[in-house]
Amino acid sequence: MGLGRGALRVLIALLWSGLLPAAASAGQPAPLQANLEYSVKANYLVRFAAFVEWPPRAFATAQSPVVICVAGHDPFRGSLETAARAQTAYGRPLAVRRPNSREAAAGCHILYVGQGGAGLVPEGRPSILLVTDAAAPPADRGMIHFAISDNRVRFHIDLQQASRAGLSISSRLLNLALSVRGG
Amino acid sequence: MPWVARLRYGRFPVVALVSLLVLLVAGVAIAVLNEQALKVQTAREAGAQADLLASAVSGALAFDDAAAAQDYVDAVQVNPSVLAAAVYDENGRLVASFVRDGETIFHGAASSERATLFDDGRLLVARPVEEAGQSLGVVHLKLLETPRAQRFGRYAGLLLVLGLAALVVVVLAVAQGALRRANHQLADRAAELVRANSLLQQQMIEREKAEEALRQSQKMEAIGRLTGGIAHDFNNLLMVASSGIELLDRTSDPKRRESLSAGIRQAVERGAALTRQLLAFSRRSPLKAEVLDARAHIEGLRFLLERSLREDIEVVLDLPSDLWPVEADRGELELALLNLAVNARDAMPQGGRLIISASNAAGEGEAGDMVCLRIADTGGGMPEAVALRVFEPFFTTKEVGRGTGLGLSQVYGFVKSSGGEISVESREGQGTTFTLCLPRTDKTPPPPGEAPAAPAGGAARAGEVNARLLLVEDDDAVAIGVGHMLDDLGYSHVRVASAAEALEALDQDPGFDLIFSDMVMPGEMDGLGLAQEVRRRMPSTPVLLTTGFSEAASAATGEAFRLLPKPYGIESLSEALAATLSDPKP
Repeated sequence: MGLGRGALRVLIALLWSGLLPAAASAGQPAPLQANLEYSVKANYLVRFAAFVEWPPRAFATAQSPVVICVAGHDPFRGSLETAARAQTAYGRPLAVRRPNSREAAAGCHILYVGQGGAGLVPEGRPSILLVTDAAAPPADRGMIHFAISDNRVRFHIDLQQASRAGLSISSRLLNLALSVRGG
Repeated sequence: MPWVARLRYGRFPVVALVSLLVLLVAGVAIAVLNEQALKVQTAREAGAQADLLASAVSGALAFDDAAAAQDYVDAVQVNPSVLAAAVYDENGRLVASFVRDGETIFHGAASSERATLFDDGRLLVARPVEEAGQSLGVVHLKLLETPRAQRFGRYAGLLLVLGLAALVVVVLAVAQGALRRANHQLADRAAELVRANSLLQQQMIEREKAEEALRQSQKMEAIGRLTGGIAHDFNNLLMVASSGIELLDRTSDPKRRESLSAGIRQAVERGAALTRQLLAFSRRSPLKAEVLDARAHIEGLRFLLERSLREDIEVVLDLPSDLWPVEADRGELELALLNLAVNARDAMPQGGRLIISASNAAGEGEAGDMVCLRIADTGGGMPEAVALRVFEPFFTTKEVGRGTGLGLSQVYGFVKSSGGEISVESREGQGTTFTLCLPRTDKTPPPPGEAPAAPAGGAARAGEVNARLLLVEDDDAVAIGVGHMLDDLGYSHVRVASAAEALEALDQDPGFDLIFSDMVMPGEMDGLGLAQEVRRRMPSTPVLLTTGFSEAASAATGEAFRLLPKPYGIESLSEALAATLSDPKP
């Protein structure tokens, strides 16, 4: 039953993504599927901002945006900007950046580590939610690690690492994880 | 509304109506308030449940985990009043849902507004799913509002109390209305009774008048029947008087003259006594029961009986001295005895004896003590057929002109109205006996002292007084006779013939010591009028009235004037004058 519903879900997702202007080239199934996967991931990155709490010191002011960064290769092709547009978290706007240095990456709150982006991850324990992806296998998994399960985008959570960084992750998010480490 | 009109017509008390209304309004208000409070509470509870679901499914919605969302939705099913639940994502697509049998998921789901609406016993609640300000979708819940039956049950107690109160009010009001109506009817009946009573009283008064007239005519009839005997007796008396006067003129022997004048005086006195009794008998008087000593009464009647019956009839009285007193009307008793006596006389055309006897009859059992009078004659008696009918009014065996047949019916009526019994015993050739039994009374009869006191001889001697009188008398013969008596008594007098002349004389000479006037006189003013006028003009001048009419006499004593009844002798005249001069009021 779960499988049937999952198949339905993918079908609906296909129809939905068909509406996106970014996926205009019909008749190319593989890029389309990749596009769908990354648009879902982009969406999730935006949603994480609502389910994770940062310590107050992570923001300069009450109105400072939650900065979502992509380090290394950017697989989202603008879908991240689309998902983040007009969204907020805890009353803060969302901003998307692509830092090209460790210093620049230090200002991020959510850091997606793409292909070759491991070098940009800041040293020490700044309050940054590190998101890695099984599609770009990292040396070390981040606090959230995307994986494909049952043909759907899921994730693993490393709660220990997150709490070391001073982040707290909502139990509702934990409930949905494929696995939770530590905590 | 007809029932309202009926209530108003039946004077349904306003207070009852108002309290009924207040009860109704209060009941409805309580119900409405309760209902509203319940709705608010139900809505709040449903909202809380929807909020809970919305917050629980936020993660599942955010990360497209339909299975997790379904788990939360299924958890809501535990509440039996939840009929349906649905979770939509931010694009309005259904993510998870459950629906109970026979229910539907409502649509218009795309809206993510908070909403709560009641619809036909269902409560629809919509809650947006948000996390940290990110809108993730919407949760819809459909709940069963409290069922109507259950709600009605909640108000059944209130309704019952309200109904009972209304019933009490209505019953009270109806009872009061009935009472008022009954009072009204009672008042009507009372008024009717009063009317009937006054009518009855009027009829009773008329009947009394008629009865009085009847009694009077019965008396008059009796007197009429006595006339023959009385006339005969008067002839005898006149005979004695006239022969005596003639003999007086012929003799000069003082001894013989004295015995002759004594005989004349005796005859005149007897005549006076007879007329006095006749007048007293015929007097119109109201019916009045008094305690009577039958013996004394019948003895008093003996004179009249002896005079009015024929000489060939002997009157025998057999009255014991220890008779019990009875209570009856004096005049009626006399009339009854006279009627019986006259009947006895008529039954004895050849003469005979009339025996009046009396005896005490001690009561036996229920019957009380009686005093029985027996009036027996030695006449021809009567056949049984006649004896049976003698008490019927207008039944008579006498020829026309000799009797009306009212006599014995008067006797019967008198005895019955006195609470007594009457019977007749008769055998042809052996006489008739009437027996009248009157009930004994416990009261004692008044002492027999009412008769005028015996003349006190020599109260006034001739020539001893020296007073001037005004004598008012229309009859010349009487005036001359009275004038002689006055001269003899030593009074000087002036005689006038009418009231008008008397007033004239008084105007010219007001120095009279006494006015002595006849009562019944021709002219506009009679003696009583004159006396009143004199009393008005000269209150200190005494007035003495005289009359032979019994009715005029009672009028005079009613006005507090001294009265000397006619006929009178010189001694009673002397006494009356002396008494009037010393004390003008009786």
